[in-house]
Parts: sequence; C-alpha cells; structure tokens
Amino acid sequence: MICAGIDAGSRTIKVVLMDAASRRILAKDITDQGLDQGQLASALLDKALHKSGLKKQDVASITATGYGRYAVDIADTTITEITCHGVGVHHLVPNAMTVVDIGGQDSKLLRLDEEGKVRDFVMNDRCAAGTGRFLEIVAKRLEVELESLGKMAAKSKKPSPISSMCVVFAETEIVGLLASGASRDDIAAGVQASIASRIAGMAGRSVAPPIVFTGGVALVPEMKNALQSKLGHDVTISPDPQMTGALGAAILAARKLEKESK
Amino acid sequence: MRKVVYTCPYVPAEWIAAHGLKPCRIVPFSTGQGSEIIRTEGLCPYVRDFVNNLSKEKDCITVFTTVCDQMRRGFDIIAGSLKMPAFLMNVPSTWQTVTSQRLYIDELQRLGNFLVQMGGKTPSNNTLSEVMLEYDAASQSILAARDKLSAIQYAGMLEQFNRDGLNSKCRIGFSPLCKKSIPLAIIGGPLLKQDFEILEITEQFGGRIVLNATENGERGLCTPFNRRKLMKNPLMELADAYFNGIHDASRRPNSELYKWIKKMLTEREVRGIIFHRNIWCDIWHAELQRLKDWAGLPVLDIESTGDDGSSMQRNKNRIRAFLEILH
Amino acid sequence: MKYLPKQISLEEWDMQYDELHKAGLQEPAYGGRLSRHVEDRDYRLLKLRYDNSAAALRLWNFLLTEEDRLQKARDDGKKLVGAMKDLGTVPVMAYSFDNMTAFYPDGAWWIPCVMELNAGLLEIADSLGIDESFCPVRAMLGAFATGAHFPIPDFLVCSVGATCDDFSAIAQRLNGMGHPIFWWEIPHRRHPERNEENILLPGGFTAPKCQLDFVKSELERVKAALSDIAGMEINNEKLSSGIKKANQVRQYLSELRYLVFTAELCPLPALEMLIAEMLALHFCSDRDETIEVLKYLLEEVKTRIKAGHGFFRADAAKIFWVNPVADLQVMNLLEDCGGKICGTEYLFAHALDMIPENIPPLDALAQMALADPMAGSTIDRAQRICNDIVKYGSEAVLISRIPGASHCAIEGEIISQVVRDNFDIPVLEIEVPPVTDAMRPTIQTRLEALVETVKARPRNINNK
Repeated sequence: MICAGIDAGSRTIKVVLMDAASRRILAKDITDQGLDQGQLASALLDKALHKSGLKKQDVASITATGYGRYAVDIADTTITEITCHGVGVHHLVPNAMTVVDIGGQDSKLLRLDEEGKVRDFVMNDRCAAGTGRFLEIVAKRLEVELESLGKMAAKSKKPSPISSMCVVFAETEIVGLLASGASRDDIAAGVQASIASRIAGMAGRSVAPPIVFTGGVALVPEMKNALQSKLGHDVTISPDPQMTGALGAAILAARKLEKESK
Repeated sequence: MRKVVYTCPYVPAEWIAAHGLKPCRIVPFSTGQGSEIIRTEGLCPYVRDFVNNLSKEKDCITVFTTVCDQMRRGFDIIAGSLKMPAFLMNVPSTWQTVTSQRLYIDELQRLGNFLVQMGGKTPSNNTLSEVMLEYDAASQSILAARDKLSAIQYAGMLEQFNRDGLNSKCRIGFSPLCKKSIPLAIIGGPLLKQDFEILEITEQFGGRIVLNATENGERGLCTPFNRRKLMKNPLMELADAYFNGIHDASRRPNSELYKWIKKMLTEREVRGIIFHRNIWCDIWHAELQRLKDWAGLPVLDIESTGDDGSSMQRNKNRIRAFLEILH
Repeated sequence: MKYLPKQISLEEWDMQYDELHKAGLQEPAYGGRLSRHVEDRDYRLLKLRYDNSAAALRLWNFLLTEEDRLQKARDDGKKLVGAMKDLGTVPVMAYSFDNMTAFYPDGAWWIPCVMELNAGLLEIADSLGIDESFCPVRAMLGAFATGAHFPIPDFLVCSVGATCDDFSAIAQRLNGMGHPIFWWEIPHRRHPERNEENILLPGGFTAPKCQLDFVKSELERVKAALSDIAGMEINNEKLSSGIKKANQVRQYLSELRYLVFTAELCPLPALEMLIAEMLALHFCSDRDETIEVLKYLLEEVKTRIKAGHGFFRADAAKIFWVNPVADLQVMNLLEDCGGKICGTEYLFAHALDMIPENIPPLDALAQMALADPMAGSTIDRAQRICNDIVKYGSEAVLISRIPGASHCAIEGEIISQVVRDNFDIPVLEIEVPPVTDAMRPTIQTRLEALVETVKARPRNINNK
C-alpha cells in the first residue's frame, strides 16, 4: 500500500510518497506555497504520483502537517509538524536526541527519546526573529538572494551584533549597522548568530546530543556552524532537511494503515 | 578582601566596607551575544546584563534588591542555577510609614549577618561612623566638582567611586565648557555602561547635562550624613540617608521623586529633559507621559535596547533633533 | 439529569434556556438568557462554547452582572472598595464590614477580550503612556477614565513591594491621574534564616515570623483605613466570621478542583473552572451568592461524576495550566485540541487555600497574604506547581505567558526547568494576547503538538 505525507509549510509545500510496508520513499516533491493551499497540495501530489507511475487511487492514506494542514482537504489525518519532524528525523538519523527545526515561520527544538518519540519541545514565540522569515527580510534589506546570505556570512571576520528579540527592531538594527558602515558580510553573519542565539536561548540548559538540524534554513550555508557555536555541540544537517516533516507525515500515515489493518 | 558586587543604589557601600569587605557597585556592560544566562523576550537589558556580568565574576558575593520585579527574579537565577553566594535585600516600595523604615533597617542588619557569614566582621559603631565619614567626604568632593566636569567625566567619576569606593582614583580634570550650550537634565532608571555615550553625544550637539537624575547620577547617591545623628546612632543615620534620601520611580507613591526633580530642575535652570529608559522597564516607562504632562519643559524620550549600536544610532539622531529644536 | 454534559454555543443556550424555563427553572434575580449580555457589546460571548448545565448558566450570569451589583451596592449606600493587586486578602477584610463591598478593578483586564477591543480601553491606556509593552491589565486605566465598567470606588487599596512591576506602575499612573490610593507593603517572602522563628504558611511555604509580623502591621493599617471609610470599627469576631465565609468559598472550590482535575471523564470544562476559581478573589461583589453559585456547581459536578457523565474523551491529555489567559476562548481551544485541565496556578493559588481559623484573624490574613506564590521566589512557586502535578496526575504543563507582564520574562524559564528537574513531562510556554483570533493557528499548533506529545507516551489515563 502507498501512503503520502504532505507538509504545508508557511513558504513551501512538500510531499513524500512512501511504500507503507517497506518505508521506501517512492517520490518526493516541493512547490512554493500560495493562496489556494488545498489545490496546490493536490497538484503536487498528482505530480509526485505521475513521476512514480502511480495513481491517486493507489494512495491508501494521506497525512497532512504544517501550518496549512487543515487546508489540505485530500488528507485523511492531520498531525502537527512537531510530531512529524520528530518521526522524520528519527527515521533518517535513528540516534538523534535533539532536533532543531528552523522553518519559514517557526523555529522549534524537539527532545526525542530513544524510540524517536517527542519527549518535550519548545517553540519560538510569535515573533519571527528566530526563523527563516528573518533571513528573508535581511536578504531583502541587503539586496541579495537568500542563498547568498550564507556565503556572505562565511566571509565575515567580525559578525555584527544583532541583539533584538523582535524582527522589526532587528531590522532597525540592521539599518543602523549599514548606516554606521558595517559590511554586509558581517551583518549576514550577525543575523545567523542572532538566530542561533535565539535557538540556544530556547534550548535552555538541557540539550542532549546528537543534534540534528532540519527545516529549510538548514540549507543556508554557515547556519549549521552558527548553531554549533551557540549550542556547544556538533550539529548534523538532516538528509534532505526540507522534507523531514513530509517524511514524518508519510511514516505516520503508514503507521495508521498498519494499525487499521490489525 | 572579598568583593561584594551589586548595582542597586539602596545598598549602602559604607555598610559593606564597615564589615571589612569590598563594596563594588557596578554598571553592567552589554553582553550582547556573549554570555547567555538569561535571554528571553520581555527582559530588561539592564537586568539581563547585570546577571550575565555576574556570571563572569569569580569568587564574589552578590547583593540583589527587590526594587525591581525582574531583578528580584534575576536573584533566583544567580542563587538557583549559578549557586553563587547571593543575598536578596527587601527594599520596601512604601516609605511613608515607620514600619517600612524599620523593615529597611532590619534588612540592613540581615545583610550584615550575611556579610559576616561571608567572612566579614560586625562593625562597631565607631568603625561604621568612620567609614561613613570617609565616604561622605569623598562623595561630597565629587559632587562639588560637577561644575568643572563634562557630564561624561562626572558620570565616570561617580561610577568609579561607586565601583571602587575609597580606593577610586578620583582625579578631577577640567573640561572647557561652552557657555552657549543648553542646560538639560537626563532623567530615568539606570544607564548601561555603553549608554554613558548619550551624555557625550548631547554635548556634541550643543547641550549640556547639568542634572544627571538617572540611577548612575546624583539621584543614585544618598544624602549627606547628619554628623550629630551619625555620632548618636550611625546605622540609623545610614538607613535614613539611603532610604529617605534616594528618590526612585519605584516608590509608592513616588511623589517625593517629583518634588526632588522639580527642585533640581529649578536650581539648575534646566531647559529640556532627556528621559531615558531601558526597554521593558515598566517602572520608568510608566512615568514618561506623566513627566511630559507635569514638567512644563520639552521632554525627549530615548530608549535603550542594550545592544551594541543601533539604539545608540537612533538615540543620537533624536538627541540631535531635540537640540535643534531647543536652540 | 435531563441534559447530558455538552459544550454549546450562545445560540444553543438560548434554545435550551427556553426549554429549561418552561420546565420550571428557578433563577436568582440576575438570571436570564446569556445572549442578553451581547447587547452590552460583550461580543466574545458569541464565540465561546459553554457548559450546558443550569449551574453553569447561573455562574455565567453571576459573572456578567457584577457591574449591576456594584451599582446597586452604591445606591444602597454601601462603600465600594477597589482592592488592587492583592489577591484574596483585603476583600476578606472588607466583606467583614456590613456596609462595604469590595471588588477587583484589575479584573478589567478581561474587558478587551470580552468586548473584542470595542470598549477602547487599551487605546485610552496607550494615550496615557501605558502601551502594549505593559500587561493587558492596563485596560483598568481605561475603565477608570471612562467610568463605564464599574463605579469609581470610594477607596482604592493596592499592595506593592513583592508584586508585579507592571501593575505597580499602572497603579501609580492611576494615582497620578488623581485617584488616591492606599498603598500597603508585601515584602518578598524569604526562607527563614538560622535563629529565626519559622512559620509554616497555608499552601506549604515557610516564612520567618518577623515577616509575618510586618505584614500583620500592614494589614492593621489597612483595617484602620477601611474602618475610617466604613465609619465603624471592626472587631475580631466580625473578622473571624468574614474568614469563615471566605473559607466556605474556598472549601467548595477546593472540592470542585479536586473532583474536576481527577475525574476520569472531565465533569466541568476549563472555561467554567477558570471563572469559578476567580470567584475566590473578591466573590464577584456578593459573597453569599458566590457560595450559592459554587454549591450549585459542585452539586452538578458530583451528579455528573456519579452518573459517569462528562466532557471530552477519557484519553484527553491532562494539562496543568500556569497563569490566567487574557482571552477566554483559549480555554475552549485547549479542549478542541484534545486536552483537558488538570491543575491550575492562575497566580493566586493562595486564595484557594483555607485561611487558618484557630489563630487571631489578622495573623491568619497576614499568613494568607504572605503565602501568595508571586510574593516569593519563582523556584518556590514552581515547587508548589510540582506538588499539585503529583496531586492531580497532570501529564504536561502549559505556561501561558501574559504579554508585557514583567514577571513572565524570567519565570517561565525557571518554572520549566524546575518541572523538568522533577518530572519527565513536557512543558510548553505560549503567549496569549487579549484577543487571539489572528494567532489562533499558532496557538492551536502548539496545543495540538503538546497533546500529541503527551499521547505518544505510556500513560495512566484514569489517575489510578
């Protein structure tokens, strides 16, 4: 039987098709988020099915996760991205004890048990200062592509201090830094350090390694190093970090099928 | 000599010194993204940086007070997580009753017991009197030098005195004063170390801080000791000079603060007020509008976020505009 | 039991009300349809879901008619006392006077929620320089400025010292607007030192006797001031009788809390529990009626438990809730997400403890004031929460941060750490503004994830 996981995040929608019995990934895909999330998710699933030579009726179970999970009307279950990321990461890195997920709108830190179940989690508050959205705002302000931000940060000799807890204030800080002649590389590095610092603040005193970094921001160069420096532990980027939520959702859909068939 | 680190003006340096320990009232510097003992949204940067600064101190004793809610909880972090020898002193918010004044004295005595446990020695009345007189003389000489110093020199000297006590090298330098500069007051809670720059910026743009009514300025000093009362009962006089002599926004009611400000504004012929507050400091923030309604003078609101540069950049611009208006 | 427990909308309540009325429902004078309160622009009521019992109807009507009672008290010549910040001590004293009614102006913090920001109270606070960086209790300034939500009290009394800076600053602003305030000091509760006499306070905290003596002397001042306003002295007998009545309220609440938090099927939803607990503070301006309202509610809960009826699934995640929410709808949301309330610490746990009756009344009240969890260290407060987690078998802790509240910036982290050090249960902190509509998906995701996390663990659902 085939199952699917759909992660309707704030910036992108991701889909993973999986063979429920073997847990083998059959197809995966990603598209930008838009106004009609339900339609976009459905079209993305069709595309993935087409790639793998499957039909909609082959899919026995679909689990949706992410911010837009309720808009994915083709799904038969919804589960939060917290649980899905935990399951997804455990599947890929079975000994992971801590998951740092930085997405477009949310950042979270999950503590897993040996079986990969979420023991506890913390999330950012409503401000976007510790999220991918912050990087986007900064990239726009520095007039560079988001992808270049990490490369710029790598060149920095002295990261600029950005201490605001609020993205709006932080943006003001960046304007001030630009006015005072700080280099764009240093600002980019400062922003990464600021996000990592916020994650470290969320983590408090109990971060158990191994730590796995997931979510779209994990793809930004140098973010991993910034996190390592603040958390004081090695950090591993999850394979295919953008897809872990959808992967976890697909696994949970498979588990549901197994439960129902018993 | 063991160092006793604190930042609240209601902790008398004389009392610590008389116990044979080294009082050290610090002005925290921004820890930016360095030490991260506490770093949560809604936290006043002064509290954050004080706690973070303490976490870097070695073999010191700390004294917190209850004047500020967040500082009171900062004590929980220092005493709980960092296991540092720490004392939390109850400083009453009410001041108009004998029981409140009595509570302050009792707390001084309790602080004394703590200092003895930490290696200090209970002072005799004579010892305490002598220390009080020495401190009094030193602080009076700094106050007397105010007219001859730039605002930042003056604040620096007070900071040094508070930090190093009688060991401070208080050398009075002279600063050429511009007669045309506009006399201003800076009013507010405590300044972080990097915020001292505000005083300098003000002078650069043609103003002159003639009244530093922040916690780091004259407002954070006790009144001169009454010699007669001091000889009779030094502890009572010490308590009186601090508890009744330092006027803070946290007092309930805080009418005495306004009386003191009014008197000082008039005496120093102030033409404008720079109101300084640290972000998330409710106690001072709540006074802003009231001060504006009450002062009868232009009031400029500046806020510090405790970062290394951007709030200063913003404030610099505002101060310049304020002085352009006043000129 | 004609109606099985169910959460219903305001519209459904109207239909049920007609049926109940036809069936002979007896109501107090303040009774009536719940929907009539929407005419007072209490629009949030349209979006809440309510317990469908007649006991809950009475509770809601009692809550929503407080302004009328205060007005009537004034018309009857009673003195109105606004007890601020202090949670549950001064009102006990005030109600011991025959001609006095006390209320809690801080309760105005719910007006922006209930009226969905239509009263403009927060805007007034803004204009007074008390912006959104302060706790939503700043709405109280607007309520005083308009005089539209409660009569201006004859006497305002406020505790300060080891209280929240926000409230202290807001009260000072109110004072600056020309409202005289009688301030009394509550010191930071500390642990007794060597050679100090140790007093065990209700609720389990300890304090040195000298602190208790200090608080007692402060309450003596309050008592004298209240006597001046009332135009009469009050003796210990009257005070003791006031304490007995307050204890009746606390006894009912204590029983209610235990039954609701430990029942296999939840017999009363979180929203009604929150309101019931709040009655302990100032009796919603009618102490005797508070007793009746709670008695009725307790009977309903007992009947439901006996009949095996209740709300939600038996496997609902048992959540311990810390701090009150400014938006009442969030209590409904917790249950929508698969959770149920199992333990609360709404900043006034001490007001739910029994006041000692075997010691002089002012000593007893001083003990209660000093037992305020907010007056001591956050570590102590967290420990009390831990004790209740054991008592009720909570499976997770939810700390609801009050936006702008000075104490919330540090205490959430400390409480989380202490709970984690004691138990292997998840702890989550969320921020709840006065109207959460725009943030609903964010809060919902967090609550759902908390419930999922609880349910993924091995569990002992029925508390046995």
